[in-house]
Amino acid sequence: MSELFDQFVVEAQELLETAGAALLALERDPADRASVDELFRAFHTLKGASALFDMAPFTRLVHAGEDTLSLLRDGRRGMTPALMTPELADRLFRALDQCARWVAALEEAGALPADAAEAAEGLVRGLAGGEVAAGAAASGGEADAFPWVAALTDAERAAVGDGALTAIDYTPDPECFFTGDDPLALFRRVPDLRLLRIEPSEPLPPLAQMDPYRCILRFRALSGAGMEAVTPAFRSVPDQVRIGSVTLAAAAVSPAAALPDSLAAAMLEEQARILDLPGSTAEQDSRRAAVARAVAAILTALGQPTERGAVEAACVDAGTMRRFLADGPAEKPATAEPRSASAPVPRRALRVEPERMDALMALVGELSVVKGQLGPLVRRAGNGEMARDLKSFSARLDSLVGDLRHAALRLRLLPLARVFDPLPRLVRDTARRLDKNVELVLEGAETEADKDILDVLGEPLLHLVRNALDHGIETPERRAATAKPPAGTLRVRAFQDKGGVVVEVSDDGAGIDPAAMRRAAVAKGLMEPDAAAALSDTDAVRLVFAPGFSTAGSVSDLSGRGVGMDAVRAAVERAGGRVEVVSTPGSGTRVRLSLPLTLSITRVVVVEAAGSLYGIPVALVGGVQRVPRAEIRSVKRAESVVLRDRVVPLVRLRRLLAQPDDERSRETVCVVLAELGDGPVAVAVDDVGERADVVLRPMTGVLRGLRGYAGTAVLGDGRLILVLDLRELL
Amino acid sequence: MPIRYDADLARFEAACTVEDALPLAEWLEATAVPRVDLSACTELHTALLQLLMAARPVVDAGPEDAFLARVIPLPPTGP
Repeated sequence: MSELFDQFVVEAQELLETAGAALLALERDPADRASVDELFRAFHTLKGASALFDMAPFTRLVHAGEDTLSLLRDGRRGMTPALMTPELADRLFRALDQCARWVAALEEAGALPADAAEAAEGLVRGLAGGEVAAGAAASGGEADAFPWVAALTDAERAAVGDGALTAIDYTPDPECFFTGDDPLALFRRVPDLRLLRIEPSEPLPPLAQMDPYRCILRFRALSGAGMEAVTPAFRSVPDQVRIGSVTLAAAAVSPAAALPDSLAAAMLEEQARILDLPGSTAEQDSRRAAVARAVAAILTALGQPTERGAVEAACVDAGTMRRFLADGPAEKPATAEPRSASAPVPRRALRVEPERMDALMALVGELSVVKGQLGPLVRRAGNGEMARDLKSFSARLDSLVGDLRHAALRLRLLPLARVFDPLPRLVRDTARRLDKNVELVLEGAETEADKDILDVLGEPLLHLVRNALDHGIETPERRAATAKPPAGTLRVRAFQDKGGVVVEVSDDGAGIDPAAMRRAAVAKGLMEPDAAAALSDTDAVRLVFAPGFSTAGSVSDLSGRGVGMDAVRAAVERAGGRVEVVSTPGSGTRVRLSLPLTLSITRVVVVEAAGSLYGIPVALVGGVQRVPRAEIRSVKRAESVVLRDRVVPLVRLRRLLAQPDDERSRETVCVVLAELGDGPVAVAVDDVGERADVVLRPMTGVLRGLRGYAGTAVLGDGRLILVLDLRELL
Repeated sequence: MPIRYDADLARFEAACTVEDALPLAEWLEATAVPRVDLSACTELHTALLQLLMAARPVVDAGPEDAFLARVIPLPPTGP
């Protein structure tokens, strides 16, 4: 596919995202003009861009969306603009979704699916129903909608002038005389009327057969006033009139105006108009870049490929651009060059294969390890001059490797906005389906995390949000009964925490009732009644993460939640993270996901058992301490220990690894407290060493079948350790 | 009566409304070479306008009203 096409796909995706966000904002605040405009622009640009390619259903659908929005924006049907309703938003969302699917298909297959025309038809009808009068829906938008504007005679053109005009297309109801309408008189109230064409809408019959009380004229007019000034004149006949903004190029014949394709000309003129829109410097800069891209694309599509620099140079303001289009590109490259140097070049993202990134990360990891071996060498070198030089060299290498590692890690970091983006839409749709009012608050979307972590995070986050909406936040009636504001608040907050990223999902809903959780656990046969009764409230609430605890049926009668929570926990823990839940019955629930910053480097606690070194991922370690032998209680072979006021089962790593028990009898036992999803476990080890960042290498070859190990890693001093997968081991 | 019919000349005066449509249609049809004088017309109803457009009478004098003079597609064709 051509570069132009690829560009369309990328831009269409961006525009659809923008449109989705604007639509959400608009639904929240129907009076939000900025969002209406943004939404309209997105549809408008999509229409223009898609028209360059052979994808009529796409163009047709966004065209219909644009029509609907122009009603919303300009209030063609009545005195005040129509307001966004949830039903209308639904229809527009469906249109956006369809477009997104098509863009995906375009990217994949280069063409729209076979059923596109049919799908477009249905959605267009949906958009045309309801708010939009049938007559208006069939119309086109903007310049397209008023083809006669492009076909004015020279005299008319001269009378009309150029620039932004408002076009009026008024076909009165033939019976309108009976209702007292006088179509011609309406035009007296149009401010700055530049042109009025009165034409028969059907061939005029011979006078003898003419019904004098039947209106057979239609009116086409151009006004220099804005749409908002023109619209009131026609407030009594909104269903018979179409009003839209059009822009006429200067009367002088420019290459663009002379182009056979009036759509392209209109698009170019629209780009010029965009350049003259007010805005901050940053906005204008980004607009200029976008306009330059669009103009280059349009010119290329018209078979007039033009040097990019020249186009960019021309896109400083509308006047320069019109001159550029009129005079042709070759005219003044000399003045154009220095300008293009100062014009901001749009940032282009660099796409790198993930495998190459991984290779780089692995190399950086190896480099850290090799660098670590330098330390002992330097110490062995003694105190001579050579040793001093070696030491300073080693220090420099240290900091460089640190920087390199940091830079390599940053390459993979992306803002969490990526996983936050689908949430507003999800919340909106789900809340609407459940008839709940929910305010979504997103915080910390700029927090960065490794791409792998984001991939891990996406699905659990959707689960949590869905659960909070489903089971957490109550219906407006119930909220009113408990003196809460009718709209629930769902807060998703991300922030960076020591070496990791934390995402919290909290709601101000009903919370989880620990008593109900205990009952449910017993009823499901997961726990004996007395064991359940012994659970602390915190642990009882944690039961939501227990596998098999929750099915939709079992939680429906609980105030809590549960669907898929064990899946959330499993996904997060697989990535070396942790899930915590805190809930206060009646006032809400907070679920916290803590994830490492990256999957490429794992922080482990090095432990020793039977003379070998093992690593335990730090994410799982709740604490390390020495426990007096006497405090380990054993019932048959099952041992337990009281840690932090909790009875924790104790396992010995030697036994887990099928090694002989420690012969030496010790006064104290070294214990690593591992926080596994379904409760803490104390792991007794021979000794606990340093914490180290290692590059985890998965088991390969014959070792792959070995269970209980996450992989191997090399320590800074070159020693090999096996990193344990405690969940599998236990 | 806003339209005064004088043999083959119809004078439009002041505001000419839809009430005049039927008489005007009959007059236009009955008159061999109808002539119209729009100079004193201040308002011309659409129904009258489309009759004039269909019958194409000789326009002795165009409207003096600025709006009508500018917009109605009836160039004076008179002497």
